[in-house]
Amino acid sequence: MLEVADRQFEADSTPTAPTRASGPSLNAVNNWVPHDIVMRDAWFPIAHAPHVGKKPLRRAIYSQPYFIWREDGRIVGSEFHPNEQRTREKSPYSDANGRYPMMEHYGVVWAWFGNPKAADPVHLPSLPFLPPNGGLPGYMTATVRFDCSAPVSLENLIDLTHADFLHADVVGDEKSDSETVETYWDSETVTMVRTCTNKSVAPIMKFFSGIRQPTQNVRQVIRIYLRSHCAIAYGRFTPGDDVPLFHPCTPETRDRTRMEMVMNTSNAGFMFRHIMPKAGYKVSRQDSSMTSPQSPRYMLPTTRKDLHSKFDQAGQRYRLQMMELAGRQAAGDFDYRDNVSADCSDIIGLRKELFQF
Amino acid sequence: MTSRAGPVWWSLALSEEVTDKKPLAVDIGDQPIVLWRDKQGIARALEDRCPHRRAPLSLGCIRDNGWIQCGYHGWSYEGDTGRLKEIPNMKDEQRFPPVYKAIPFGVEESGGFVRVSLDAKAIPPDPQQRTMPLSGTAHVPLEQAHWLDALYDDPGLVIAIKGVDFTPYLMSELREENGVFMMERSCLWGKLHWPSFAISDFPITLLSRTQPETGETELTLRDDAFNTLLTVQLAPVAAARGVTQVRWRAELGKSLKGRHARRLARGTPFSVREVIDAAALRVLKPSVSLHGRKLREALNSAPAVAAAA
Repeated sequence: MLEVADRQFEADSTPTAPTRASGPSLNAVNNWVPHDIVMRDAWFPIAHAPHVGKKPLRRAIYSQPYFIWREDGRIVGSEFHPNEQRTREKSPYSDANGRYPMMEHYGVVWAWFGNPKAADPVHLPSLPFLPPNGGLPGYMTATVRFDCSAPVSLENLIDLTHADFLHADVVGDEKSDSETVETYWDSETVTMVRTCTNKSVAPIMKFFSGIRQPTQNVRQVIRIYLRSHCAIAYGRFTPGDDVPLFHPCTPETRDRTRMEMVMNTSNAGFMFRHIMPKAGYKVSRQDSSMTSPQSPRYMLPTTRKDLHSKFDQAGQRYRLQMMELAGRQAAGDFDYRDNVSADCSDIIGLRKELFQF
Repeated sequence: MTSRAGPVWWSLALSEEVTDKKPLAVDIGDQPIVLWRDKQGIARALEDRCPHRRAPLSLGCIRDNGWIQCGYHGWSYEGDTGRLKEIPNMKDEQRFPPVYKAIPFGVEESGGFVRVSLDAKAIPPDPQQRTMPLSGTAHVPLEQAHWLDALYDDPGLVIAIKGVDFTPYLMSELREENGVFMMERSCLWGKLHWPSFAISDFPITLLSRTQPETGETELTLRDDAFNTLLTVQLAPVAAARGVTQVRWRAELGKSLKGRHARRLARGTPFSVREVIDAAALRVLKPSVSLHGRKLREALNSAPAVAAAA
């Protein structure tokens, strides 16, 4: 059962939402200015739960200050530092006391950004491979920053062909007998399934998981929760291990991103279990080498169209769904039309027997 | 970018900087450009921006067949036209519409410089026959126009020639000859000498010849017997954020007479200052550079006058 940590939530009093727009135009995918998108009324992961103690930690969502600490073991989130002399007005994102709706779930601290009265645990993304009450060892977690906008980072993630080049030394190169990409979506999520047969074996599995075969079949799923800027990256490698990753991209500002990642490798062998989560530090630097120079080139509208291939369908769909949602929010419609907290195990093809909590 | 003489060709790199091993990122103003050498050894130039997801192509690699491959998703481009040639794992679907291309630029290489024109169809300039053996690259935190003004007004602030002290006294003021700006400055050897205002004859002079469109300047250091001691070809190009990238090639004269002249042959005789004395630059009064501006204005207005006539 999900609970709001520090306050009773009330029913959303937002007026009835307008009818669904007809959707972005065909050319919308090229009008992509992610820097302009600010998503409201969503839970954002802002800290690993074990990191939060009595001393306030400072975080930000879209530059909005969040100070978080524990009072009697419960998470508290405030717009103001307890020692701060208030020289500014409270924002509409917190309650009368300057407190935010906060949650602690999956071993992560979640902060609500938006209308505090609309905060509802039912809007928390489903992450079925993480224990609901946390408790994974610290070595399976990491904090990584990207100096790019959060949607650029997520679009990078959902087009996994980049991994064959940027991360070839970790997950293997692009050589495979076949590759297919399928995309599924609703108003709150985009899910991409990439299936490769006889793909070059991931070097990290060769060295730390003892895979001796030269190739492996790979099924990779990326599921993005649009509002929360969170993703699941779940790889099933045969032969090899199941590697489910919680890959949030919290927009601390509109063009700087924080990732409180959690990789549940508890079913892998000793070496791989410990090494693989650390690969996040290397992989994130490789991603940053591209997304850092890439991000400023998406800050301003341009008449020049991006080129696309058939492998970009998931990324294009991500752009369209984000713009549709941003358009709805701009029109005052903040309602959730699909349930993001419903168990997505079947959607991502999770081998539940490996992740019993 | 064009001038009254047509598209401008910028000396963007030294020949030895452009290889088939690693792409080179350069820029003309705010236009990023990637240079590399293809399988035939021909220098190529494309916009340093993959049209797929806008990542810099210079972060990618050069394939064995001479195509440049983006390091992000592996799209490969051919250098001459910029056409997309391959997307990984597309197997036998590697035929793309003509619009699938990176923007190509014109490239010409001679005299140890790789020149680029933003107009891919621009007619290349006449090739230079001579390649000077000494070379260097410097990035200067000063806009190109200011850098050239400083070169005219007090060269010692922006360049250094071993053992040479530049004086404020000119043998000939800046003038235009056949579309080239020329001037000659009196110089002294070393620091131990009478003050330049009290000297009747100077042992060396520095002749400069500047192309007004690009600022490319040839410097010739001569002694009082008219022996050429050093020749330098300077190519200052306006880069991003007001930085000027200066590439140069130089060679020593055949007859180096006197101990000061012979010292030029020991080590590197020439350098471009990457650190500029800003306090001295601020109080440097424009003198020669004022003539330079007038000459440029006159040159730029010439076609209009001719057209009106």
